[in-house]
Amino acid sequence: MSHLDVSGKKLMLNEEGFLIDPNQWDRQVAEVLAKAAEGIDKLTPEHWAVIEFIRNYYLETNLAPMVRSICKTTGLPLRRIYELFPAGPAKGACKIAGLPKPDGCV
Amino acid sequence: MASDKDPKDPYLERIRQLKPGQLESALASFKRLLDHKTVANLQSCVNCGLCADSCHYFLVTGETEAIPAYKLKLVTSVFRKLLSLLGGLARGSEGDGALDSQMVEKWIDSLYGRCTLCGRCTLNCTMGINITRLIRIARTTLASIDLVPPGLQSTVTTAVEKGNNMGIPREEWLDTLQWLSEELQMEVGDHKAHLPVDKPGTKLLYTVNPREPKFFPLSLLATAKIFYAASESWTVSSDYYDVTNYGLYSGDDGAAGLLSSRLRESMVELGAKTLILGECGHGYNSNRWEAPEWLVAEDKFQVKSIIQIIFDYIRQGHIKLDPSRIQKRVTLHDPCNLVRLGGIIEEQRFILRNAVTDFVEMSPNREKNYCCGGGGGQLSMTRYAKRRLETGRIKADQIRKTGAKIVVTPCHNCIDQLSELNREYDLKVEIKTVSEVVADALVIEKKEK
Repeated sequence: MSHLDVSGKKLMLNEEGFLIDPNQWDRQVAEVLAKAAEGIDKLTPEHWAVIEFIRNYYLETNLAPMVRSICKTTGLPLRRIYELFPAGPAKGACKIAGLPKPDGCV
Repeated sequence: MASDKDPKDPYLERIRQLKPGQLESALASFKRLLDHKTVANLQSCVNCGLCADSCHYFLVTGETEAIPAYKLKLVTSVFRKLLSLLGGLARGSEGDGALDSQMVEKWIDSLYGRCTLCGRCTLNCTMGINITRLIRIARTTLASIDLVPPGLQSTVTTAVEKGNNMGIPREEWLDTLQWLSEELQMEVGDHKAHLPVDKPGTKLLYTVNPREPKFFPLSLLATAKIFYAASESWTVSSDYYDVTNYGLYSGDDGAAGLLSSRLRESMVELGAKTLILGECGHGYNSNRWEAPEWLVAEDKFQVKSIIQIIFDYIRQGHIKLDPSRIQKRVTLHDPCNLVRLGGIIEEQRFILRNAVTDFVEMSPNREKNYCCGGGGGQLSMTRYAKRRLETGRIKADQIRKTGAKIVVTPCHNCIDQLSELNREYDLKVEIKTVSEVVADALVIEKKEK
């Protein structure tokens, strides 16, 4: 377990850098997680479209969305998602959106 | 590990507060698992120590707790104590092998936390002891009192409760298949091309790793393209299509048997002739070799890996490949469960020699290959993530020495670990499944309409 300090707030992260308490998430936290997980200095509107969709989907369903839904909603082609988040939809995008680590081979 | 010392870790709290009744129950489970082969194995270690260098955990960390003989000793000491209670028949039955909470903590740290069940120590044991199986028996014992590490347990629970290990709802699976059908039509220029769902009486029933539809659908599209080129009669099930079986790793035979039985249900329901396991090492080992034991039933149909099917397509001329399309150097990672423990060894090499121009082996390879570090449930056990990446250094070094730009492996679990190693060790390689490489080299001939 490690932690990140974001404007006075102490964020607890698990050994893979996922937020332990998804409720601690906000846009500023996303920026910090993006730097830590993907080395992204500045999130672009394309990044944000993906992150916001994942975040809202998670709040509604308690699940990470399928990459199909991400493409459909944001209008981004699949290959663009992998370019935006080189660590992948799970270890990149979902992590930055403050989701817990998904189950399975990821 | 920092987390292992964290006083607020609820998992560790559960271990430390184990009640005598739970420990007795664990011991009873352990006793039930002791058949004659296991008992012989438990009494055969001569402490030669030659297994140490076979284990990637020991090679990287040099820690005693990582030596396979040490791990084995944790199990044998409990066995000997048990025998001494039963009448003191075993040599060396003195010694402290009580299965108390301290021993349970040691078991968990070494047998879940420092082992990928890769089987390399078993291959190198001078006494022929199946160390891998004995470690799994210890995991089964721990699973019997609900002490499987959290991420690994939740992956098993999700698979049992939701029908696949990522909890994909049925309609989303169907929606993704529909989308991939449209993509396939565009790629091959045939509006009839599609991914068939629940089609009765096909030759093959195909199964996938849920991470394909969920996050990485291009590998499934690649396989569909190969099936299309071969004019194959195939289908997937709308219900049970998950090739993975984390029960193999958690040690929970009941869950493992249930998950394997579902694929068999799909076979019967759809009347397919052969069950085809997608590119998944442990899914192959589980469903090809272990399932008949878990289910205490022989299969009435063949169970094969997709690798064997692609191998046959090439050998029999059902698909045509143009290796000149892939000029970059390619190497192959052998998944432990498919190769060392599964016996599928030469087929993937034959495929690559036909699909790419410059294929090189890493060293060592085939059944002597090193684990990538992601097996045994390690990918799901976040608490050991730092060890997983650290021990992956051996694989990273192996890859770097080949000078390859593309690493191919027929296992999605390995793919995920290799992708992390790629970033961690700055390998600058592409990681692909066998199907993806074959699909890239595929020459699609215009079909008669």
